[in-house]
Amino acid sequence: MKQKQNLHLQKLKSGRSEAYGLRIDDFFNDLEKHLDLPPYGKNLIYQHFFQAFEYYQDHQVSLGEICERIAPEHLGSFYSDNQRKSYSLDNAAIVYPLGMKFGQMPMFRLSVELKERVEPILLQLALDFTIKRFPTFSAIIKNGFFWHYLETTNHVLQIEEEKDIPCKPISILLRSYRSLRVLYYKKRISIEFFHSITDGSGGMVFLKTLLGEYFRLQGKLFSYCCDVKDPDEEPLEGELVNEFRNAQGKGDLSKFVDKKSLQLDGKLSKIGVTRILHLIMDSDELKTVSRSYNGTVTAYLCAILLLAAKKSILKNNGIFNIQVPVNMRKFNHSVTLRNYSMYFNACANLSDISDKKQLVEQIAVQIKEKGDETHMNQMMKITGKVIDSLAYIPLFIKVPVMQVVYGYLSNSIIGCTLSNLGIIELPEQLQDEIDSFQFVLMPGIPNRVTSSMVTYGKKAVFTLIKNCHETVFEEEVYRLLSEDGLSIQMEGSVEYES
Amino acid sequence: MNPKITYPIPERQNTFYRSLRNIARIVFLCASAICLLINFLVKGKMWSLIVVWSLFSVWKLVFSLRLVEFSIFSHVIRISFYVAVLLLLIDHFLARGWAQTVIPIVLFAFLLLMFIIFYATYDRRARHLSSIMLLGLLCLTSIPYSIHSWPITNWIAFAFSTASFVLFLIMIIANRKDILYELKARLGTKQS
Repeated sequence: MKQKQNLHLQKLKSGRSEAYGLRIDDFFNDLEKHLDLPPYGKNLIYQHFFQAFEYYQDHQVSLGEICERIAPEHLGSFYSDNQRKSYSLDNAAIVYPLGMKFGQMPMFRLSVELKERVEPILLQLALDFTIKRFPTFSAIIKNGFFWHYLETTNHVLQIEEEKDIPCKPISILLRSYRSLRVLYYKKRISIEFFHSITDGSGGMVFLKTLLGEYFRLQGKLFSYCCDVKDPDEEPLEGELVNEFRNAQGKGDLSKFVDKKSLQLDGKLSKIGVTRILHLIMDSDELKTVSRSYNGTVTAYLCAILLLAAKKSILKNNGIFNIQVPVNMRKFNHSVTLRNYSMYFNACANLSDISDKKQLVEQIAVQIKEKGDETHMNQMMKITGKVIDSLAYIPLFIKVPVMQVVYGYLSNSIIGCTLSNLGIIELPEQLQDEIDSFQFVLMPGIPNRVTSSMVTYGKKAVFTLIKNCHETVFEEEVYRLLSEDGLSIQMEGSVEYES
Repeated sequence: MNPKITYPIPERQNTFYRSLRNIARIVFLCASAICLLINFLVKGKMWSLIVVWSLFSVWKLVFSLRLVEFSIFSHVIRISFYVAVLLLLIDHFLARGWAQTVIPIVLFAFLLLMFIIFYATYDRRARHLSSIMLLGLLCLTSIPYSIHSWPITNWIAFAFSTASFVLFLIMIIANRKDILYELKARLGTKQS
């Protein structure tokens, strides 16, 4: 390994002055001080720095500038401190590993579409520099005697070129397994998260910070704001807090269980996701249309999903539930990066649906009633009670029981999910570098579809993630949106075959 | 619907393992049921339980891998547990009298192997400590067996159980800080 490193060093120094060579030696000596990793990990980090050096040299960046941008100090003590730290899972995260089965891992993905092609070398280094700021994101799930928990690692995370189906379960057979993967494809950077480590809002903070670091390495100047964190800062204590512990109100257990929902027709795919469709709309147009129906964007889209479900379910006499996650941070301005969302079900009996306007209004009322702070706090309290009551049951009993119960308590009572991440803001200096954001949420079995929404600038990206090959649902969604005069640009994946 | 394709076209998904798993599930269940039925009809020794346990072990070790914290260490511990139970069943239902000697030897061999791998790569493997401790505890269960009819002791079993105990003790003393950390983390009941 040392020989390989020397060869790289010689390559970096070739044709340069002696002073240049000495500065490079100093730089890599300094890097060595920041690494206390097994040879494999150390070699990876060296590779990242060698590649970055070569990249900058090719782009005529001065040595002083290179040493400043990729100074080993940006690694902090992350790769030299081997002390392990454990974190209990928060009340939402705790369910995910319990309900996991072969080939099923609750994952979600946040992507950003840049205006320029992604530079993988800089993205890799940005990841090396960013990860220390988010200790729970570099953690892995472990088995406790009573619960699963998170344990920090300093394994080197490698970015990958996107080649496969999105949100595939992270392989457990890897040399060192992890809880997230960072991918790039043409102009897109994507991060796929295991849901136990964070939720959409927490994941977005990580993506924005990674993005900020990526642009800093490109030499762009900006101020750290709008949830773009300075990766060199220490993590805030509040970012690691399980906010479910602070839930107020009374918890009524009867509200915890809902009626079973209808599911879309169609055979579930063996391979998970069968297709991803992004319906890109003008955010102002979408808002105007939603208002014309006396509803919010979420209420309007829920109504569209219900109408499309009615069309695509043959025996449509029954309740169809749409699970709507609520970001609890909006109620108490928490900065936690752990899971901090609760859910309510927007529902309708499909056979009763006739008028779109009436349906939007009906859903808007449900959102107001079920999605308010008091109701959500009650839900949090109930979740806390249920978890407390299970606290002293050993994990080897909980896991098989939960694998059976999980389906009944979670995915069977919903027909679809609509997760709206809202409007994404970025520092002014970075706004022109980005085209759009995307959010992909993996459907759980037996759900045939989930949907998500994220808005950046004028672009509202409404995403449908399918789990079966029937196309009636998405065709109807498209027709209903177009019928309201919305101009839709459609992007997505091919249909994935097993 | 013809969206603009913005995702890479993946290679055809390999569902071989999934299909094999589904076939194995059916074959194993049928084979277990048939064996139990034949054994019940022809009477005699309970050999069918050994078949069922063997099939169950193969299922757990090959087709139902741990989804959380899978590692070579945790897998070897699982193997040693299933092997020990299998030996116990064979001894109990087919040919009595040798398991008390053989099981401590087998478990000690597993423990020694893990011990060597662990210390050869200690820095990287510190997080697998608890798996080895679990194997150590499993080995200790054979001590009472070897001395249960004291003073007529199974000396071979006793020697290997004691050797396991010594290895276990060395690990506790050498890694007491890590063990304390592991105990605290793994026995936690409260959410942070």
